[in-house]
Amino acid sequence: MDPDLALLLNGIVSGLLLGGLYAAAAAGLSVSFGMLDVVNIAHPAFMVLGSLIVALLWAATGLDPLLLSILLTPAFWALGAAIYVAYHHFFERRGDEAIQGLAFFFGVMFIIEVGLVLAIGPEQHFVDAAYANTTWRLGEIDLPLRMLVPALVSFAAIGGLVLFLRRTFTGRAIAAVAQDREALRLLAIDPVRIKRLAFGISIAMAALAGGALVVVQPVDAWSGHVFIGRVFAVVIMGGLSSLGGCVLAALAFGVVENVTASFYGPSWSPAVAFGCLLLVLAVRPQGFFGRTA
Amino acid sequence: MAASLLIEDVDAAYGAVRALDGVSLKVAPGETVALLGTNGNGKTTLMRCILGLLKPTRGRIAATIEGTTTELVGRSPEEIVDLGIAIVPEGRRLFPRLSVEENLLLGAYRRSARAAIPRNLEFCYDAFPRLKERRSQPVGSMSGGEQQMVALGRAVMCAPKILLVDEPSVGLAPILVARTIEKIAELKEKLGLTVLMAEQNFHQAIRIADRGYVLVHGRVEFQGDSPAALGDSDLVRKFYLGL
Repeated sequence: MDPDLALLLNGIVSGLLLGGLYAAAAAGLSVSFGMLDVVNIAHPAFMVLGSLIVALLWAATGLDPLLLSILLTPAFWALGAAIYVAYHHFFERRGDEAIQGLAFFFGVMFIIEVGLVLAIGPEQHFVDAAYANTTWRLGEIDLPLRMLVPALVSFAAIGGLVLFLRRTFTGRAIAAVAQDREALRLLAIDPVRIKRLAFGISIAMAALAGGALVVVQPVDAWSGHVFIGRVFAVVIMGGLSSLGGCVLAALAFGVVENVTASFYGPSWSPAVAFGCLLLVLAVRPQGFFGRTA
Repeated sequence: MAASLLIEDVDAAYGAVRALDGVSLKVAPGETVALLGTNGNGKTTLMRCILGLLKPTRGRIAATIEGTTTELVGRSPEEIVDLGIAIVPEGRRLFPRLSVEENLLLGAYRRSARAAIPRNLEFCYDAFPRLKERRSQPVGSMSGGEQQMVALGRAVMCAPKILLVDEPSVGLAPILVARTIEKIAELKEKLGLTVLMAEQNFHQAIRIADRGYVLVHGRVEFQGDSPAALGDSDLVRKFYLGL
Protein backbone atom coordinates (compact mmCIF):
# COMPACT_ATOMS: atom_id res chain seq x y z
CA MET A 1 0.00 0.00 0.00
CA ASP A 2 1.12 3.54 -0.72
CA PRO A 3 2.68 4.79 2.56
CA ASP A 4 0.72 8.06 2.41
CA LEU A 5 -2.53 6.18 1.99
CA ALA A 6 -1.65 3.90 4.87
CA LEU A 7 -0.83 6.95 6.98
CA LEU A 8 -4.17 8.53 6.05
CA LEU A 9 -6.16 5.38 6.79
CA ASN A 10 -4.41 4.92 10.10
CA GLY A 11 -5.00 8.58 10.89
CA ILE A 12 -8.71 8.20 10.18
CA VAL A 13 -9.09 4.99 12.19
CA SER A 14 -7.20 6.23 15.21
CA GLY A 15 -9.10 9.52 14.86
CA LEU A 16 -12.36 7.57 15.08
CA LEU A 17 -11.06 5.85 18.21
CA LEU A 18 -10.02 9.20 19.72
CA GLY A 19 -13.49 10.44 18.72
CA GLY A 20 -14.93 7.63 20.85
CA LEU A 21 -13.18 9.14 23.84
CA TYR A 22 -14.43 12.62 22.93
CA ALA A 23 -17.95 11.22 22.54
CA ALA A 24 -17.79 9.74 26.03
CA ALA A 25 -16.55 13.05 27.43
CA ALA A 26 -19.16 15.11 25.56
CA ALA A 27 -22.25 12.88 25.96
CA GLY A 28 -22.77 13.87 29.60
CA LEU A 29 -22.36 17.53 28.69
CA SER A 30 -24.89 17.09 25.92
CA VAL A 31 -27.38 16.18 28.66
CA SER A 32 -26.47 18.97 31.11
CA PHE A 33 -25.64 21.81 28.68
CA GLY A 34 -27.75 20.67 25.72
CA MET A 35 -30.92 19.45 27.44
CA LEU A 36 -30.92 21.11 30.88
CA ASP A 37 -29.36 24.48 29.97
CA VAL A 38 -26.83 24.03 32.77
CA VAL A 39 -23.45 25.32 31.56
CA ASN A 40 -21.36 22.81 33.46
CA ILE A 41 -17.87 23.98 32.65
CA ALA A 42 -16.62 21.59 35.34
CA HIS A 43 -17.71 18.55 33.34
CA PRO A 44 -14.14 17.60 32.28
CA ALA A 45 -13.01 18.07 35.89
CA PHE A 46 -15.60 15.47 36.96
CA MET A 47 -14.21 13.22 34.25
CA VAL A 48 -10.69 13.64 35.67
CA LEU A 49 -12.03 12.99 39.15
CA GLY A 50 -13.42 9.73 37.77
CA SER A 51 -10.08 8.90 36.12
CA LEU A 52 -8.07 9.38 39.29
CA ILE A 53 -10.50 7.47 41.51
CA VAL A 54 -10.40 4.63 38.96
CA ALA A 55 -6.59 4.76 39.00
CA LEU A 56 -6.50 4.53 42.81
CA LEU A 57 -9.06 1.73 42.90
CA TRP A 58 -7.18 -0.08 40.16
CA ALA A 59 -3.94 0.16 42.14
CA ALA A 60 -5.76 -1.21 45.19
CA THR A 61 -7.80 -3.99 43.59
CA GLY A 62 -6.33 -4.73 40.16
CA LEU A 63 -9.87 -4.90 38.68
CA ASP A 64 -10.43 -3.76 35.10
CA PRO A 65 -10.48 0.07 35.01
CA LEU A 66 -13.56 0.29 32.78
CA LEU A 67 -15.41 -2.09 35.07
CA LEU A 68 -14.35 0.10 38.01
CA SER A 69 -15.69 3.19 36.25
CA ILE A 70 -19.03 1.46 35.71
CA LEU A 71 -19.10 0.58 39.41
CA LEU A 72 -18.42 4.27 40.19
CA THR A 73 -21.45 5.55 38.27
CA PRO A 74 -24.00 5.32 41.13
CA ALA A 75 -21.73 7.39 43.41
CA PHE A 76 -21.18 9.96 40.66
CA TRP A 77 -24.90 10.03 39.97
CA ALA A 78 -25.51 10.91 43.62
CA LEU A 79 -22.74 13.52 43.53
CA GLY A 80 -24.27 15.11 40.44
CA ALA A 81 -27.75 15.13 41.97
CA ALA A 82 -26.37 16.81 45.11
CA ILE A 83 -24.53 19.46 43.09
CA TYR A 84 -27.67 20.18 41.09
CA VAL A 85 -29.65 20.64 44.30
CA ALA A 86 -27.11 23.26 45.44
CA TYR A 87 -27.01 24.93 42.02
CA HIS A 88 -30.78 25.04 41.82
CA HIS A 89 -31.19 26.35 45.36
CA PHE A 90 -28.64 29.15 45.09
CA PHE A 91 -28.84 30.19 41.43
CA GLU A 92 -31.40 28.65 39.10
CA ARG A 93 -34.37 29.17 41.42
CA ARG A 94 -33.62 32.90 41.54
CA GLY A 95 -33.02 33.20 37.82
CA ASP A 96 -29.31 33.91 38.37
CA GLU A 97 -28.06 31.01 36.36
CA ALA A 98 -26.49 32.76 33.37
CA ILE A 99 -23.31 34.37 34.74
CA GLN A 100 -23.36 33.41 38.40
CA GLY A 101 -24.10 29.79 37.57
CA LEU A 102 -21.13 29.76 35.23
CA ALA A 103 -18.97 31.16 38.02
CA PHE A 104 -20.34 28.46 40.34
CA PHE A 105 -19.23 25.67 38.02
CA PHE A 106 -15.90 27.40 37.43
CA GLY A 107 -15.44 27.29 41.19
CA VAL A 108 -16.50 23.64 41.35
CA MET A 109 -13.83 22.91 38.73
CA PHE A 110 -11.08 24.51 40.80
CA ILE A 111 -12.27 22.85 43.98
CA ILE A 112 -12.10 19.45 42.30
CA GLU A 113 -8.63 20.12 40.88
CA VAL A 114 -7.13 21.54 44.05
CA GLY A 115 -8.85 18.87 46.11
CA LEU A 116 -7.28 16.19 43.92
CA VAL A 117 -3.81 17.72 44.24
CA LEU A 118 -4.16 17.93 48.04
CA ALA A 119 -5.57 14.43 48.33
CA ILE A 120 -3.40 12.46 45.94
CA GLY A 121 -0.73 14.81 44.66
CA PRO A 122 0.05 16.54 41.39
CA GLU A 123 1.69 13.60 39.62
CA GLN A 124 0.30 11.63 36.72
CA HIS A 125 -1.61 8.45 37.42
CA PHE A 126 -2.09 5.59 35.04
CA VAL A 127 -3.66 2.16 34.83
CA ASP A 128 -2.58 -0.94 32.97
CA ALA A 129 -5.58 -2.70 31.53
CA ALA A 130 -5.05 -6.37 30.58
CA TYR A 131 -5.53 -5.53 26.90
CA ALA A 132 -3.49 -2.31 26.91
CA ASN A 133 -0.52 -3.71 25.04
CA THR A 134 -2.44 -5.67 22.42
CA THR A 135 -2.94 -4.25 18.94
CA TRP A 136 -5.13 -5.86 16.29
CA ARG A 137 -4.03 -5.42 12.70
CA LEU A 138 -6.32 -5.21 9.68
CA GLY A 139 -3.88 -5.15 6.79
CA GLU A 140 -1.87 -2.01 7.41
CA ILE A 141 -4.38 -0.50 9.80
CA ASP A 142 -3.63 -0.68 13.51
CA LEU A 143 -6.39 -1.14 16.05
CA PRO A 144 -4.84 -0.69 19.49
CA LEU A 145 -7.19 -2.19 22.08
CA ARG A 146 -6.09 0.52 24.51
CA MET A 147 -8.15 2.87 22.30
CA LEU A 148 -10.71 0.45 20.87
CA VAL A 149 -12.11 -0.97 24.13
CA PRO A 150 -12.81 2.43 25.77
CA ALA A 151 -14.39 3.64 22.51
CA LEU A 152 -16.69 0.61 22.33
CA VAL A 153 -17.65 0.94 26.00
CA SER A 154 -18.50 4.61 25.52
CA PHE A 155 -20.58 3.91 22.40
CA ALA A 156 -22.47 1.25 24.33
CA ALA A 157 -23.10 3.67 27.20
CA ILE A 158 -24.30 6.39 24.82
CA GLY A 159 -26.53 3.88 23.03
CA GLY A 160 -28.04 2.93 26.38
CA LEU A 161 -28.59 6.59 27.21
CA VAL A 162 -30.33 7.20 23.86
CA LEU A 163 -32.69 4.28 24.51
CA PHE A 164 -33.38 5.56 28.02
CA LEU A 165 -34.25 9.03 26.72
CA ARG A 166 -36.55 7.70 23.97
CA ARG A 167 -38.24 4.80 25.70
CA THR A 168 -38.84 5.77 29.31
CA PHE A 169 -41.16 8.31 30.89
CA THR A 170 -38.29 9.93 32.78
CA GLY A 171 -36.16 10.02 29.64
CA ARG A 172 -38.83 11.80 27.62
CA ALA A 173 -39.36 14.26 30.46
CA ILE A 174 -35.59 14.98 30.44
CA ALA A 175 -35.75 15.70 26.72
CA ALA A 176 -38.72 18.03 27.36
CA VAL A 177 -37.55 19.90 30.45
CA ALA A 178 -35.45 22.57 28.73
CA GLN A 179 -38.19 23.22 26.19
CA ASP A 180 -40.93 24.22 28.63
CA ARG A 181 -40.57 23.70 32.38
CA GLU A 182 -44.01 24.97 33.36
CA ALA A 183 -45.73 22.78 30.79
CA LEU A 184 -44.14 19.77 32.50
CA ARG A 185 -45.69 20.80 35.81
CA LEU A 186 -49.08 20.82 34.06
CA LEU A 187 -48.51 17.15 33.27
CA ALA A 188 -47.87 16.34 36.95
CA ILE A 189 -44.10 16.16 36.37
CA ASP A 190 -41.80 18.01 38.78
CA PRO A 191 -39.17 19.71 36.57
CA VAL A 192 -36.70 20.13 39.43
CA ARG A 193 -36.80 16.42 40.16
CA ILE A 194 -36.30 15.64 36.48
CA LYS A 195 -33.33 17.99 36.20
CA ARG A 196 -31.78 16.55 39.36
CA LEU A 197 -32.06 13.05 37.93
CA ALA A 198 -30.70 14.14 34.57
CA PHE A 199 -27.79 16.09 36.01
CA GLY A 200 -26.89 13.00 38.04
CA ILE A 201 -26.90 11.00 34.81
CA SER A 202 -24.62 13.53 33.13
CA ILE A 203 -22.08 13.28 35.98
CA ALA A 204 -22.35 9.47 35.94
CA MET A 205 -21.43 9.66 32.25
CA ALA A 206 -18.39 11.74 33.29
CA ALA A 207 -17.26 8.86 35.53
CA LEU A 208 -17.44 6.45 32.58
CA ALA A 209 -15.56 8.93 30.40
CA GLY A 210 -12.95 9.20 33.15
CA GLY A 211 -12.47 5.44 33.10
CA ALA A 212 -12.02 5.60 29.33
CA LEU A 213 -9.57 8.50 29.59
CA VAL A 214 -7.27 6.85 32.10
CA VAL A 215 -7.11 3.69 30.00
CA VAL A 216 -6.05 5.81 27.01
CA GLN A 217 -3.50 8.09 28.68
CA PRO A 218 -1.92 8.95 32.04
CA VAL A 219 -4.02 11.56 33.90
CA ASP A 220 -3.19 14.32 36.38
CA ALA A 221 -5.48 16.77 38.18
CA TRP A 222 -5.39 19.25 35.28
CA SER A 223 -5.92 16.83 32.41
CA GLY A 224 -9.47 18.11 32.00
CA HIS A 225 -8.35 21.51 30.74
CA VAL A 226 -7.60 20.38 27.20
CA PHE A 227 -11.09 18.87 27.06
CA ILE A 228 -13.10 21.94 28.03
CA GLY A 229 -13.00 23.58 24.61
CA ARG A 230 -13.29 20.27 22.81
CA VAL A 231 -16.36 18.94 24.62
CA PHE A 232 -18.26 22.21 24.30
CA ALA A 233 -17.28 22.35 20.60
CA VAL A 234 -18.49 18.77 20.09
CA VAL A 235 -21.81 19.38 21.86
CA ILE A 236 -22.47 22.57 19.93
CA MET A 237 -21.43 21.04 16.62
CA GLY A 238 -23.71 18.06 17.30
CA GLY A 239 -26.74 20.27 17.79
CA LEU A 240 -26.81 20.66 21.61
CA SER A 241 -29.44 18.17 22.66
CA SER A 242 -28.85 15.46 20.06
CA LEU A 243 -26.73 12.55 21.30
CA GLY A 244 -26.48 11.16 17.75
CA GLY A 245 -25.17 14.53 16.59
CA CYS A 246 -22.79 14.59 19.55
CA VAL A 247 -21.27 11.22 18.57
CA LEU A 248 -20.97 12.24 14.92
CA ALA A 249 -19.34 15.55 15.86
CA ALA A 250 -16.95 13.79 18.28
CA LEU A 251 -15.87 11.35 15.57
CA ALA A 252 -15.42 14.15 13.03
CA PHE A 253 -13.43 16.18 15.54
CA GLY A 254 -11.20 13.20 16.38
CA VAL A 255 -10.55 12.39 12.72
CA VAL A 256 -9.77 15.99 11.73
CA GLU A 257 -7.42 16.40 14.69
CA ASN A 258 -5.65 13.14 14.12
CA VAL A 259 -5.26 13.39 10.35
CA THR A 260 -3.94 16.94 10.73
CA ALA A 261 -1.50 15.75 13.38
CA SER A 262 -0.30 12.89 11.14
CA PHE A 263 0.39 15.10 8.12
CA TYR A 264 1.20 18.55 9.48
CA GLY A 265 2.17 18.00 13.09
CA PRO A 266 0.14 18.02 16.31
CA SER A 267 0.45 21.77 16.89
CA TRP A 268 -1.87 22.36 13.94
CA SER A 269 -4.58 19.96 15.01
CA PRO A 270 -6.57 22.12 17.46
CA ALA A 271 -6.47 25.08 15.06
CA VAL A 272 -7.76 23.01 12.16
CA ALA A 273 -10.36 21.22 14.29
CA PHE A 274 -11.77 24.43 15.76
CA GLY A 275 -11.62 26.01 12.29
CA CYS A 276 -13.87 23.19 11.10
CA LEU A 277 -16.23 23.93 13.99
CA LEU A 278 -16.53 27.54 12.81
CA LEU A 279 -17.17 26.35 9.26
CA VAL A 280 -19.87 23.93 10.38
CA LEU A 281 -21.57 26.64 12.42
CA ALA A 282 -21.36 29.09 9.50
CA VAL A 283 -23.17 26.63 7.22
CA ARG A 284 -25.40 24.95 9.79
CA PRO A 285 -25.82 27.18 12.85
CA GLN A 286 -28.04 24.59 14.52
CA GLY A 287 -25.28 21.90 14.32
CA PHE A 288 -25.43 18.53 12.58
CA PHE A 289 -28.65 17.21 14.07
CA GLY A 290 -29.94 20.36 15.69
CA ARG A 291 -33.56 21.14 14.99
CA THR A 292 -34.50 24.72 14.32
CA ALA A 293 -37.94 24.54 15.90
CA MET B 1 -68.76 8.96 38.79
CA ALA B 2 -68.23 12.34 37.19
CA ALA B 3 -66.25 15.03 38.95
CA SER B 4 -67.09 18.59 39.93
CA LEU B 5 -65.31 21.83 40.66
CA LEU B 6 -66.20 24.54 43.14
CA ILE B 7 -64.74 28.04 43.31
CA GLU B 8 -65.85 30.29 46.17
CA ASP B 9 -65.09 33.96 46.56
CA VAL B 10 -61.60 33.86 45.08
CA ASP B 11 -59.38 36.94 45.01
CA ALA B 12 -56.06 36.94 43.21
CA ALA B 13 -53.46 39.53 42.36
CA TYR B 14 -50.23 39.94 40.47
CA GLY B 15 -48.25 42.04 42.92
CA ALA B 16 -50.39 45.12 43.53
CA VAL B 17 -52.57 44.51 40.48
CA ARG B 18 -55.85 42.89 41.37
CA ALA B 19 -56.78 40.24 38.81
CA LEU B 20 -59.73 38.41 40.42
CA ASP B 21 -62.28 39.93 42.75
CA GLY B 22 -64.58 37.60 44.64
CA VAL B 23 -65.08 35.07 41.86
CA SER B 24 -67.45 32.21 42.65
CA LEU B 25 -68.44 29.54 40.21
CA LYS B 26 -69.30 25.92 40.06
CA VAL B 27 -69.00 23.17 37.50
CA ALA B 28 -71.39 20.31 38.28
CA PRO B 29 -70.62 16.68 37.39
CA GLY B 30 -70.70 16.15 33.64
CA GLU B 31 -71.28 19.78 32.77
CA THR B 32 -69.51 21.91 30.19
CA VAL B 33 -69.20 25.41 31.57
CA ALA B 34 -67.92 28.32 29.51
CA LEU B 35 -65.86 31.06 31.08
CA LEU B 36 -66.43 34.04 28.84
CA GLY B 37 -64.87 37.44 28.62
CA THR B 38 -62.45 39.36 26.45
CA ASN B 39 -58.70 39.38 26.96
CA GLY B 40 -57.38 40.65 30.27
CA ASN B 41 -60.53 40.06 32.31
CA GLY B 42 -59.13 37.22 34.41
CA LYS B 43 -60.00 33.99 32.62
CA THR B 44 -56.43 32.71 32.42
CA THR B 45 -55.74 33.97 35.96
CA LEU B 46 -58.60 31.86 37.25
CA MET B 47 -57.20 28.83 35.39
CA ARG B 48 -53.80 29.51 36.96
CA CYS B 49 -55.40 29.63 40.41
CA ILE B 50 -57.22 26.34 39.89
CA LEU B 51 -53.97 24.69 38.82
CA GLY B 52 -51.89 26.05 41.69
CA LEU B 53 -49.69 28.20 39.45
CA LEU B 54 -50.94 31.32 41.25
CA LYS B 55 -52.01 31.33 44.88
CA PRO B 56 -55.29 33.12 45.51
CA THR B 57 -55.12 35.77 48.22
CA ARG B 58 -58.54 34.71 49.48
CA GLY B 59 -61.22 32.15 48.79
CA ARG B 60 -61.64 28.45 48.31
CA ILE B 61 -61.15 26.12 45.36
CA ALA B 62 -62.17 22.49 45.70
CA ALA B 63 -62.48 19.54 43.36
CA THR B 64 -64.64 16.51 44.02
CA ILE B 65 -63.34 13.49 42.16
CA GLU B 66 -64.70 9.99 42.66
CA GLY B 67 -66.49 11.06 45.81
CA THR B 68 -63.44 12.66 47.45
CA THR B 69 -63.33 16.41 47.87
CA THR B 70 -59.85 17.98 47.79
CA GLU B 71 -58.96 21.55 48.63
CA LEU B 72 -56.73 22.84 45.84
CA VAL B 73 -55.44 26.11 47.31
CA GLY B 74 -51.90 25.58 48.61
CA ARG B 75 -51.22 22.51 46.52
CA SER B 76 -48.58 22.34 43.81
CA PRO B 77 -49.57 22.09 40.14
CA GLU B 78 -48.09 18.58 40.04
CA GLU B 79 -50.37 17.42 42.88
CA ILE B 80 -53.44 19.08 41.39
CA VAL B 81 -52.93 17.58 37.93
CA ASP B 82 -52.27 14.21 39.55
CA LEU B 83 -55.78 14.33 41.08
CA GLY B 84 -57.14 14.00 37.55
CA ILE B 85 -57.42 17.62 36.45
CA ALA B 86 -55.90 18.10 32.99
CA ILE B 87 -55.42 21.36 31.14
CA VAL B 88 -55.15 22.28 27.51
CA PRO B 89 -53.15 25.45 28.14
CA GLU B 90 -53.36 28.70 26.25
CA GLY B 91 -50.79 28.64 23.45
CA ARG B 92 -50.83 24.82 23.73
CA ARG B 93 -47.41 24.60 25.46
CA LEU B 94 -46.24 21.53 23.55
CA PHE B 95 -42.62 20.33 23.36
CA PRO B 96 -41.73 21.39 19.82
CA ARG B 97 -38.60 19.28 19.41
CA LEU B 98 -40.29 16.06 20.52
CA SER B 99 -42.44 13.93 18.25
CA VAL B 100 -46.23 13.76 18.36
CA GLU B 101 -46.15 10.43 20.15
CA GLU B 102 -43.50 11.57 22.66
CA ASN B 103 -45.69 14.59 23.47
CA LEU B 104 -48.74 12.36 23.91
CA LEU B 105 -46.86 9.90 26.12
CA LEU B 106 -45.60 12.72 28.34
CA GLY B 107 -49.26 13.40 29.07
CA ALA B 108 -49.49 9.95 30.62
CA TYR B 109 -46.57 10.47 33.00
CA ARG B 110 -48.64 10.25 36.17
CA ARG B 111 -48.79 6.72 37.51
CA SER B 112 -52.54 6.31 37.40
CA ALA B 113 -52.56 7.30 33.71
CA ARG B 114 -49.90 4.80 32.65
CA ALA B 115 -52.09 1.73 32.89
CA ALA B 116 -54.54 3.32 30.45
CA ILE B 117 -51.91 4.25 27.83
CA PRO B 118 -52.80 1.68 25.14
CA ARG B 119 -56.50 2.53 25.38
CA ASN B 120 -56.03 6.29 25.52
CA LEU B 121 -53.46 6.33 22.72
CA GLU B 122 -55.84 4.39 20.53
CA PHE B 123 -58.60 6.80 21.50
CA CYS B 124 -56.41 9.77 20.50
CA TYR B 125 -55.50 8.26 17.16
CA ASP B 126 -59.17 7.41 16.51
CA ALA B 127 -60.27 10.92 17.37
CA PHE B 128 -57.41 12.52 15.42
CA PRO B 129 -56.34 10.22 12.56
CA ARG B 130 -53.94 12.90 11.35
CA LEU B 131 -51.87 12.44 14.50
CA LYS B 132 -51.45 8.75 13.78
CA GLU B 133 -50.06 9.54 10.33
CA ARG B 134 -47.61 12.01 11.83
CA ARG B 135 -46.81 10.26 15.08
CA SER B 136 -43.02 10.49 14.65
CA GLN B 137 -42.93 14.05 13.30
CA PRO B 138 -41.58 16.82 15.57
CA VAL B 139 -44.53 18.83 16.83
CA GLY B 140 -42.77 22.13 16.08
CA SER B 141 -43.03 21.43 12.36
CA MET B 142 -46.83 21.02 12.40
CA SER B 143 -49.61 23.50 11.67
CA GLY B 144 -51.50 25.30 14.42
CA GLY B 145 -54.58 23.13 13.96
CA GLU B 146 -52.56 19.94 14.19
CA GLN B 147 -50.78 21.23 17.27
CA GLN B 148 -54.13 21.93 18.89
CA MET B 149 -55.04 18.28 18.25
CA VAL B 150 -51.81 17.19 19.97
CA ALA B 151 -52.60 19.44 22.93
CA LEU B 152 -56.09 17.94 23.27
CA GLY B 153 -54.66 14.45 22.82
CA ARG B 154 -52.02 15.06 25.47
CA ALA B 155 -54.74 16.08 27.93
CA VAL B 156 -56.67 12.89 27.10
CA MET B 157 -53.53 10.87 27.85
CA CYS B 158 -53.58 12.34 31.38
CA ALA B 159 -56.73 10.24 31.95
CA PRO B 160 -58.49 13.24 33.52
CA LYS B 161 -61.88 13.53 35.20
CA ILE B 162 -61.94 17.30 34.91
CA LEU B 163 -60.71 19.01 31.75
CA LEU B 164 -59.73 22.67 31.76
CA VAL B 165 -59.40 24.29 28.35
CA ASP B 166 -57.83 27.74 28.12
CA GLU B 167 -58.52 29.73 24.94
CA PRO B 168 -58.61 26.85 22.47
CA SER B 169 -59.41 29.20 19.58
CA VAL B 170 -56.35 31.45 19.86
CA GLY B 171 -54.25 31.44 16.73
CA LEU B 172 -56.55 29.18 14.73
CA ALA B 173 -58.42 29.82 11.48
CA PRO B 174 -62.21 30.07 12.00
CA ILE B 175 -62.95 26.67 10.46
CA LEU B 176 -60.40 25.07 12.78
CA VAL B 177 -61.91 26.84 15.77
CA ALA B 178 -65.29 25.27 14.99
CA ARG B 179 -63.69 21.85 14.60
CA THR B 180 -61.67 22.16 17.82
CA ILE B 181 -64.77 23.14 19.78
CA GLU B 182 -66.67 20.14 18.37
CA LYS B 183 -63.78 17.86 19.30
CA ILE B 184 -63.87 19.10 22.88
CA ALA B 185 -67.58 18.24 23.04
CA GLU B 186 -66.87 14.82 21.53
CA LEU B 187 -64.04 14.05 24.00
CA LYS B 188 -66.22 15.18 26.89
CA GLU B 189 -69.07 12.91 25.78
CA LYS B 190 -66.93 9.83 25.16
CA LEU B 191 -64.74 10.12 28.25
CA GLY B 192 -67.42 11.36 30.66
CA LEU B 193 -65.50 14.52 31.52
CA THR B 194 -66.45 17.65 33.38
CA VAL B 195 -65.26 20.65 31.37
CA LEU B 196 -64.44 24.25 32.20
CA MET B 197 -63.51 26.18 29.09
CA ALA B 198 -62.22 29.75 28.96
CA GLU B 199 -62.94 31.27 25.59
CA GLN B 200 -63.25 34.67 23.96
CA ASN B 201 -65.08 33.37 20.96
CA PHE B 202 -68.59 33.63 22.36
CA HIS B 203 -70.52 32.06 19.48
CA GLN B 204 -68.26 29.03 19.34
CA ALA B 205 -68.16 28.56 23.11
CA ILE B 206 -71.93 28.54 23.59
CA ARG B 207 -72.34 25.89 20.89
CA ILE B 208 -71.12 23.27 23.36
CA ALA B 209 -71.58 24.91 26.77
CA ASP B 210 -74.40 23.97 29.14
CA ARG B 211 -73.95 27.19 31.09
CA GLY B 212 -71.58 30.10 31.26
CA TYR B 213 -70.10 32.89 33.34
CA VAL B 214 -68.95 36.25 32.00
CA LEU B 215 -65.87 37.74 33.65
CA VAL B 216 -65.43 41.51 33.45
CA HIS B 217 -62.44 43.12 35.20
CA GLY B 218 -61.95 40.06 37.39
CA ARG B 219 -65.58 39.84 38.58
CA VAL B 220 -68.36 37.50 37.54
CA GLU B 221 -70.73 40.07 36.03
CA PHE B 222 -73.23 37.67 34.61
CA GLN B 223 -74.09 34.03 34.77
CA GLY B 224 -76.31 32.37 32.24
CA ASP B 225 -78.00 29.07 32.99
CA SER B 226 -78.37 28.24 29.33
CA PRO B 227 -76.68 29.26 26.10
CA ALA B 228 -79.83 31.18 25.18
CA ALA B 229 -79.80 33.14 28.45
CA LEU B 230 -76.21 34.13 27.77
CA GLY B 231 -77.01 35.25 24.25
CA ASP B 232 -79.97 37.32 25.47
CA SER B 233 -78.10 39.09 28.24
CA ASP B 234 -77.81 42.85 27.83
CA LEU B 235 -74.33 42.76 29.31
CA VAL B 236 -73.12 40.22 26.81
CA ARG B 237 -74.71 42.07 23.93
CA LYS B 238 -73.28 45.39 24.99
CA PHE B 239 -69.79 44.66 26.26
CA TYR B 240 -68.99 41.50 24.53
CA LEU B 241 -70.67 41.28 21.20
CA GLY B 242 -70.67 45.04 20.64
CA LEU B 243 -74.38 45.07 19.73
